[in-house]
Amino acid sequence: MKYMFITISLLLLAVAPFFGQMEISLSKINNITSIDYKLFWDLRIPRVITAFFTGALLGLSGLIFQSLFRNPMSTPFTLGVASGATLGTAFAIVFGFISFVALFGFLGALLTIIILFALTSKLKTYETSSLLLVGIALSFFYSASLMILFYLSDETQSYEIIRFTMGSLDVVGLTHTIPVVVASILLLFMSLGYKKEIKLLLTSYDNAFLKGIEVQKTNTVLLISVSIAIGVAVSITGPIGFVGLIIPHILRIIYKKSADKLLIQTFFYSGIFLVFCDLISRKLGTASDVPIGVITSFLGGPFFIYLLIRKRK
Amino acid sequence: MLTISDFSNNILSNINMHLQENENLIILGSNGAGKSTLAKVLCGIINSHSIEVFKYKLHTLHAKKRAELINYIPPKLEVFDEHISLMEYLELSTLYSNISVNEVLSLLCLDDLKDKSCKTLSSGEQQLTMLASSMLHNAKITIFDEPTANLDPQKTLNVYNILKSDKIKNRIIITHDLSLAYKLGYKILYMEDGKIAFFDESRKFFEKSNLDDFFGSSLKRIDDFFMVNL
Repeated sequence: MKYMFITISLLLLAVAPFFGQMEISLSKINNITSIDYKLFWDLRIPRVITAFFTGALLGLSGLIFQSLFRNPMSTPFTLGVASGATLGTAFAIVFGFISFVALFGFLGALLTIIILFALTSKLKTYETSSLLLVGIALSFFYSASLMILFYLSDETQSYEIIRFTMGSLDVVGLTHTIPVVVASILLLFMSLGYKKEIKLLLTSYDNAFLKGIEVQKTNTVLLISVSIAIGVAVSITGPIGFVGLIIPHILRIIYKKSADKLLIQTFFYSGIFLVFCDLISRKLGTASDVPIGVITSFLGGPFFIYLLIRKRK
Repeated sequence: MLTISDFSNNILSNINMHLQENENLIILGSNGAGKSTLAKVLCGIINSHSIEVFKYKLHTLHAKKRAELINYIPPKLEVFDEHISLMEYLELSTLYSNISVNEVLSLLCLDDLKDKSCKTLSSGEQQLTMLASSMLHNAKITIFDEPTANLDPQKTLNVYNILKSDKIKNRIIITHDLSLAYKLGYKILYMEDGKIAFFDESRKFFEKSNLDDFFGSSLKRIDDFFMVNL
């Protein structure tokens, strides 16, 4: 029972590609000439894998951010990395670099990380809370810049930008899937390697210091790695909200364990959650898929409130 | 073993002190005199270039090596995450000792509490938890900040016996309990307004004229015990 989440994940990953607006028959997916083959291997499989690993990456990032900032409201997007990616993407859309959208998104994220840590190193005292504030200020600046880009764009471009900010799992082939898979798995192993440090930071900074942890260095290494991983995910799928905020909270309520013991669980359940949400968005029968960010918030919000109320009792 | 030279900040001024090899210390002083600040400077939580520990400059040491040499036990247990249990806290503290977590738990009668969240422990239980953690950490020098505050007489006695035992290597103890300081008989450092007002042998500190200088009529001595003159 302890590793139930792995079983669920595998089952879901096996079944999910068969759901969607078009029925796929199992017998035809090995027939190279059929439409089913293309649909299954070029669209459905990459989509489900992207959904799972993006969810996993966002959930794990959220858990680590909430632990390091000691702020339950932190999300993977709090530091402005996602806004940076969005701005980069919008820039590519407006100025005609359509084929390099993901690359520009990632550059936007990377630039944000550099600005962020360059600015905080200028601050006299090192505190994660000041980093948080710089990140939030940066996000506002980016929103303003995005508005300017909106004014420069035509109608189709505006629509594309808006569609990106709502998050999308439309990927074709594995070129965009592989970076997300690699980034999320690297992040998982890295966070597992830093398990003890994370736990010590969850006692108190002084205690972590006294037990031989380089507090500032550890924080910086973790924050930068998580930020880069987020940059990879967001530049490909757009900022899919809510997974990173809510799944860590839900698991903390259910398991009643500290963050360091929830790394693997968060990884898998966040992945499951996003695949599940994606299934719903594809099965609603609307003309085009409902943006994935809408579904995650729509399902996650009420469930989270339910858990909070139940916890109080 | 431990030296602080010419240290000043907004609380402390001009602190100089040197402890010989295997010398233990009691730090006394009124509230707000700077005892805890001094402790934080000595262990490196407050960064400075003035500390030398076992011939190393403290600020140049690698974090792991620093942890092996010096540890500080604050007056209150601080744990941010509500799901970290006493047992987990002690496992995190286990660094350079040979004794097991379970041995320490039974020594301090904490067995029944081991699965409780650190946040729900009473202040006395937290105090014992931190003492347990200091034994498991087993640094060469441990600074205890008021280790017997919040404890009932039975537990105070238990803690006293551990503090003077060989389960702790070298110790620096901050306290308000003069009877405890007298019994332990370590060298005494008395602080006043961020300055060192006395730093010498225990025997000299407890001479009547000296005590009158520092405590006036607020202190009453009965045999080997010192109490507040209510």
